[in-house]
Amino acid sequence: MKSESEALFVQQLKENQNIIHKICRLYTTDSDAHNDLFQEITIQLWKAFPNFRGDSKFSTWAYRVGLNTAITLYRKKKRTIDTIEFDSTFHKVTQDEYNFEEEEKLKLLYSAIRELNDIEKALVFLYLEDKDYTEISETLGISEVNARVKMNRVKGKLKKILNP
Amino acid sequence: MDELEILKKDWKKQESSFLQISEIEIYGMLHKKSSSLVKWILIISILELLLWLSFSFFTVDDQYLETLKLYHLDTLMPIMNAISYGVILFFIYLFFKNYKTINATDNVKQLMQNILKTRKTVQYYVWYNLAMTAFSFILVFIFQFMYDPNLTKIVEKMSQNININIFYCIMFVIYTVIIALFVGLIWLFYRVLYGILLKRLGKNYDELKKIEF
Repeated sequence: MKSESEALFVQQLKENQNIIHKICRLYTTDSDAHNDLFQEITIQLWKAFPNFRGDSKFSTWAYRVGLNTAITLYRKKKRTIDTIEFDSTFHKVTQDEYNFEEEEKLKLLYSAIRELNDIEKALVFLYLEDKDYTEISETLGISEVNARVKMNRVKGKLKKILNP
Repeated sequence: MDELEILKKDWKKQESSFLQISEIEIYGMLHKKSSSLVKWILIISILELLLWLSFSFFTVDDQYLETLKLYHLDTLMPIMNAISYGVILFFIYLFFKNYKTINATDNVKQLMQNILKTRKTVQYYVWYNLAMTAFSFILVFIFQFMYDPNLTKIVEKMSQNININIFYCIMFVIYTVIIALFVGLIWLFYRVLYGILLKRLGKNYDELKKIEF
């Protein structure tokens, strides 16, 4: 029997699933790992759902649990890593633009992001998601000033890769 | 346009590229088992608690009790065991108290700290057991020398051939090596086990700490 809270959770998750997909894309390198991480985040969200009171948005909450799972809780399974597949998924999105120069830059940027450590990836992710420094500092548990300093460093690092 | 703005624009477009997961699939996922780090730590920790507990249960037999009597340890050992059970229960309480504070909705740093704290409790538990094991070894060795009739005979025999102090020195070295090997092996096992389990967490926690300084 599907309970009421289960139905509510599934509905909310379905609507917000792109947040989780984006985290998975950032932290995994192939579609198997992507699905694996997606599932673990779903389980963690479901486990924490009884404590979700609805005073914050489901999405805000999903960012936090999602990142926590990707950075800390998720145990990567041993598998041969197929990085080519990952690059092509990023690539597909930009193909319809036919802007060669921009596309090359994006390719470089995405591969540079992949080289970042887990914490830096989280910073970039929250920046790309238009989160302000208050939310970034609250999600990661660091001060706002330090989040800003670190973010600038990461941005600098990415820009340097494009303009050596 | 700024490069990072181009990236942001592209990032937003990605949303349409994800294969959407259906409600039925999500329902299926809810009933799958988690394979998170915390779950592994919990399983391993419970195994550790049980392992050390079973050591103290299964090593007690009639022969053991007789040996204790022979070594005049039959009053001291049960007292030590009682204290030891008390300490173990205290550790189990601490472990579950810390375990309950682990919450995926905490911020990243807090979550990492809580996991490390829970793991530390188990580490202290292991250290405590190792120390107790080493201490018991030493105690038994000393009382063995004092009261074991077989050993007394050997000592008497040896003292006719070589200096008794040299003999004691050799025995001391042998016993020290046995204890050191035993403790060392267990220490190595834990280093490897937790090294594998917590490598990523440790690395990420250090990265977060670096941001703060």
